Amino acid sequence: MRRWIVAEFAAPETSLEAARRLRASGLTGLDLHSPFPIEGSDEALGLRPSPIPGAVLCGGLIGAGFGYWLQWFCNAHDFPINVGGRPLQSAPAFVPIVFELGVLFGSAAAFFGMFVAARLPRLHHPVFEADGFRSASVDRFWLSASLGPGDDPEHVRARLADLGALRVEIVPEENP
Amino acid sequence: MAARVSLGRTALIAGSVGAACCAATLIDAAAAPRAALDSWLAAYAFWLGVCLGCLGWLMTFHAGKARWIVVSRRLLEGLAATVPPLAVLFVPIALGLRHIFPWATAAAPSGEEASLLAFRNAYLRVPFFLSRAVAYFALWTLLGHLLLRWSVLQDDRGGPAPTAWQRRLSGFGLVALAITGTFAAFDWMMSLEPDWISTTFGFYFLSGAMMGGLALFVLLLALADRRGLLGDPLRPSHWHNLGKLLFATLCFWAYIAFTQYLLIWIADKPVEVRWYVTRTGGGWGGVAIALVVLHFAFPFFVLLSRDFKRRRGPLAATGIWLLLVHYLDVYWIVMPATYRAGPAPRWTDLLAAVGIGGLVLAYAAWRLDGHSFVPAGDPYLDESLAYERS
Repeated sequence: MRRWIVAEFAAPETSLEAARRLRASGLTGLDLHSPFPIEGSDEALGLRPSPIPGAVLCGGLIGAGFGYWLQWFCNAHDFPINVGGRPLQSAPAFVPIVFELGVLFGSAAAFFGMFVAARLPRLHHPVFEADGFRSASVDRFWLSASLGPGDDPEHVRARLADLGALRVEIVPEENP
Repeated sequence: MAARVSLGRTALIAGSVGAACCAATLIDAAAAPRAALDSWLAAYAFWLGVCLGCLGWLMTFHAGKARWIVVSRRLLEGLAATVPPLAVLFVPIALGLRHIFPWATAAAPSGEEASLLAFRNAYLRVPFFLSRAVAYFALWTLLGHLLLRWSVLQDDRGGPAPTAWQRRLSGFGLVALAITGTFAAFDWMMSLEPDWISTTFGFYFLSGAMMGGLALFVLLLALADRRGLLGDPLRPSHWHNLGKLLFATLCFWAYIAFTQYLLIWIADKPVEVRWYVTRTGGGWGGVAIALVVLHFAFPFFVLLSRDFKRRRGPLAATGIWLLLVHYLDVYWIVMPATYRAGPAPRWTDLLAAVGIGGLVLAYAAWRLDGHSFVPAGDPYLDESLAYERS
């Protein structure tokens, strides 16, 4: 059965410092829960760079390529119509659609990439069951970490208390 | 009290080089007026655009109440105040109108043509043309001068009052700059081929100019930062913002340039399309493709990278690159009016660009000499110094 430890802090700085210390001591699965974004939390949690920009670039390029192919297929290949002697494949006239589809696919990649990266649509997590955790969306800063079989919960609890935690809870995984 | 910066030597060197190159170009203009004045006009349009771009950015930052820029703003104020030398350097163009602009020597049309072209003939008349130029220079000089003067005043006096004046002037100034800049572009570049009319042209020129102005600012700011003129070095977040703005103006230029091209290309009207036929055919076709690739596609993908934008060295290199391609853009606008078959590079092209640039930069250095290099009295200076965003 998996367990998590959650700790409540009064200020963003102390929660960041605690995250740094816990990470240095080898705990994994760290996360911060705060009412507003905290500058420097990526670095404190040791997060890898976001995969979203890469996904958006790929989405944009695929959309732009698809936009060009679509117009070429319709206007020049599948159903060519001579309109006043204009060239069938008119690259300048294709550009607006290429741009629009690039933007559309790029933003779709951002939207769905965000879903995947944030592991949505998962709506609940066991740490939400901790007493008072609700204040994470009001005025308190919570740090959570997953406890492996080798971690001693009481030891981590003591460390968190030393680092300024107002309260510390151990949350087990719920039984289905 | 912040340290006062000494730029006298920079001003002297840039000024001497600039004056020598300008003199050489103008001496050549006595022998080959048309060719030398075309070089002069291209170089002039480039530097004028860059300086107006700096003025536009300065007013944008004021009007938008930007705080992060404050620490680096003094350099921008110096560059924005360089219209007076440009007004003087306009004199060779004013004296050589009949060598550059076909309308200056054309015989007055008669009959039906006269009624069709009545407005254009009234607009492109030498006295009206020159009085417009005087009005543009007066307005731009006033805007640049006041913004620099108030900022310097604040160094000694402190207090928020000059900031309020700057913001109030900038809102009005941006509108005035957009309108006068548009008409200046019509007057000095579009009228090279008086039959051709594009209402987007002013915006096209100004969008490139905003990019060029920012590129020059970023380049000089990187040099000043390296020399330690700003005290503490700028933070990655400052460079990141400048990089993002470069990227944005790059896209804006591409958008406007393509809009103008697409509308004219798709309508395919003989009078309108001639301008592009000259510029995309013959020897100019390669230049047009080079503009698409070097002015847009390549810097676009380079500036996508976040790490690239957060570092001073790469951004300074981008600044040099964008200045070069902006010159190519102006060259491609101005030169085909004379050289219809293809580009004909001439030694005066380089001399005029270096000469006018040298004088402009010398003037900026002279204006900044002896003042603090950061706006020491600005109420937002501390906030700007501590600026941090991921």
